[in-house]
Amino acid sequence: MKHKAMILLLVWGALTLAAWFSPEKELSVSERRPLAGKPELSAGTVFSGNFMEDFEDYSLDQFPFRDSFRRLKAWFHYSVLGQRDNNGIYVYQGHAVKQEYPLNETSVAHALNRFQTLYETYLTQSNVYMAIVPDKGYYLAEQSGHLAMDYDRLYELVEAGMPWATQVDLRDSLSAGDYYRTDTHWRQEQLLDAAGVLCQALGTAPPKAEDYTRTALDRPFYGVYYGQAALPMEPDILYLLESSLLENCTVYDYETGKTGSVYDRAKLDSQDLYDVFLSGARSLLTIENPDGDPDRELIVFRDSFGSSMIPLLVQGYGKVTLVDIRYIRMELLGEYLDFAGKDVLLLYSTLVLNNSAAIK
Amino acid sequence: MVFSSIPFLYYFLPAVLAVYFLTPDRGKNAVLLLASLVFYGWGEPKLLVLMVFTIALFYGCGLAIGRAEQQRWKKLWLIVSIVISLGLLGLFKYADFFLSTFRDVTGWQVPLLKLALPVGISFYTFQCLSYTIDVYRGKVPAQRNPVTFGAYVALFPQLIAGPIVRYADVVRELESRKHSWENTALGLRRFLVGLGKKVLLADNFALLIRLFRESGEPSVLFYWMYALAFSLNIYFDFSGYSDMAIGLGRVFGFHFPENFNYPYLSQSVTEFWRRWHISLGSWFRDYVYIPLGGNRVSRGRWVCNILVVWMLTGLWHGAAWNFVLWGLLFAALLLVEKWAPGLQKLPSVLRRFGTLLAVMLSFVLFNAESLSQTGSDFACLFGFGGLPLVTAQTRYYLTSCTVLFLVGMLGATPVVKAAAERLGRTKAGNGLELAMLLGLLLVCTAYLVDGSFSPFLYFRF
Repeated sequence: MKHKAMILLLVWGALTLAAWFSPEKELSVSERRPLAGKPELSAGTVFSGNFMEDFEDYSLDQFPFRDSFRRLKAWFHYSVLGQRDNNGIYVYQGHAVKQEYPLNETSVAHALNRFQTLYETYLTQSNVYMAIVPDKGYYLAEQSGHLAMDYDRLYELVEAGMPWATQVDLRDSLSAGDYYRTDTHWRQEQLLDAAGVLCQALGTAPPKAEDYTRTALDRPFYGVYYGQAALPMEPDILYLLESSLLENCTVYDYETGKTGSVYDRAKLDSQDLYDVFLSGARSLLTIENPDGDPDRELIVFRDSFGSSMIPLLVQGYGKVTLVDIRYIRMELLGEYLDFAGKDVLLLYSTLVLNNSAAIK
Repeated sequence: MVFSSIPFLYYFLPAVLAVYFLTPDRGKNAVLLLASLVFYGWGEPKLLVLMVFTIALFYGCGLAIGRAEQQRWKKLWLIVSIVISLGLLGLFKYADFFLSTFRDVTGWQVPLLKLALPVGISFYTFQCLSYTIDVYRGKVPAQRNPVTFGAYVALFPQLIAGPIVRYADVVRELESRKHSWENTALGLRRFLVGLGKKVLLADNFALLIRLFRESGEPSVLFYWMYALAFSLNIYFDFSGYSDMAIGLGRVFGFHFPENFNYPYLSQSVTEFWRRWHISLGSWFRDYVYIPLGGNRVSRGRWVCNILVVWMLTGLWHGAAWNFVLWGLLFAALLLVEKWAPGLQKLPSVLRRFGTLLAVMLSFVLFNAESLSQTGSDFACLFGFGGLPLVTAQTRYYLTSCTVLFLVGMLGATPVVKAAAERLGRTKAGNGLELAMLLGLLLVCTAYLVDGSFSPFLYFRF
């Protein structure tokens, strides 16, 4: 009895000491978020209850071996309790997939409503195209026996809600292997077929594999699902498709007023390596392509999937503008852009359409 | 603060244990009192005023009852303690229930008080009442030491979710108790088992229940899964808390009464209530049912006594009509069992199944947020809700939670405990038990670190 109690107390005590005296960490690399710091201790924070609330967050975030404990939990959840997902993420055929379910028709209706306003305000004189980017679940959920939104219904709703746009269906040009295993996004080096489908619809020349050089980034890519799944997974390798045409392009960022390049190598040190594509989340960018047709201009309303796809569409245009209406109010666009006579592509993932509250 | 949280497990408890065992025996109750006040004030510091007032009220009334020589003065002080404490309980817990019922009936828009419910108020009020009543009855002498009495009322291991420990049961240990490695080992084992029940089973059932409530694709089968999941959720949540309380008590040298004895094995509703929340059932028996005359009265009066006790039991669990109905449902079932002795002659399998089904359905009523939801839940359970029998989502969660349900159902029987005890008698088994306990600690910690937290169900009582 004595030995049992002593061993239990020893392990418990060791973890306690580690919790009390481990150095504080600022960031969780696997979860890609800042960790809570020590809360302020004062009479005011104690009596308001803020100290206790913040201390709960602090004690969870700064717990020693946090990542290992999260992995232990995920393993127990999957392997012992037999649960089929952990925090809504499952792993199938080496892919971490978010279970996006069910189809949120209210959210789709909100997105369609915003697109309708966009059309009525700016796009009546434009050639408008709509392409939905399927998430990984489209290819993996059914065969793995997991839940997924009703994709057919989503496509039906979008088609019916946007009679003024030409629908471009990317589903057959993609497969599960075209997405990063640890992340939500698609792999740029696998997108030539899908880009070809878009170019065909837009009436421009499709990208040719021989025009690009595939460059692997040195740093391993731990995607957003890597931390959420908390299971031991190999990181992805992030490749860039580089070409002389893309090297000649310049990218103007309306937010910062700075000019840069298509692949933003300053982002190689950022938490999300995917930000290397067109600098990540930006509200308004313009790509000038000196080798493209100066009379053709494309405006793309997009989410983050567009960042890696759009470099493969620029060859047909002298200028491509990227707009993310999650970060800029639609009403302001008229001050910056003229849409008349231009090609306009709306490129949105099923994930954003199903969670569209952020679309302004 | 809750037991199943990182601040409790790795900050509060180790610090309290260290200070407690370093303090000489005469100061141990003061350490417990102080620690208990910190524990209670952690969630809402302002409520400490209520706790200190409650301690002072019952300490003073107990002393006054003990010192009074005339019966009428004893009775007066007893009534003072009952009226004030039940008044506070009524104010914080029931005022808005009665006011909103009054509004519904009369149409008068009287304003609601909207007071926050002090955590554990029903538990510690009942504990304190047992103290003054027992002093009044001459069962125990009044406690003269305010620190000892304060430690009893605020004792953090069982302060907020029971078991309801009567003063008479712990008075000797409050004044002098033994600490030993054996107590520590047994206490820690019991605590970790309770922690596992709460974090690994109850919280995972709670997650399934949340997904069920959020489901846009319900089905008849999903409703039955919900009924089973909630029955297991409330059992592991509450019995897990009781295990942790009893285990912690043991570490500090107390022997708290058992609160659960495999209730889902019961062959009748009467037996169920002898096995479920034992400390509450016995409290109502000793302090309400028997003083009302129990069953030594006319049949009509006896039925009335049963109805009153079970209506109060329902109300104790929550200030809403579904809790009242829940209590009255049990009163009706108990009366049926008393009046239909033929039920006892049914095969035990049928009696067990019938009892389990009745209890499971009663928990659907218990967990409904309103009477209208109760109606719709029952309609859906029995196929009158226009729902499909099964959907893809139901199939998914059924396959995902099969192991959880099996472990839960097995864990609600004595099989696991018996196997562990058999193993524990061998040397290899002893080592295995230690490994399992360490594993429990680490896995529960892992779940807590991952943030899958849900408060104890019985906190709202």
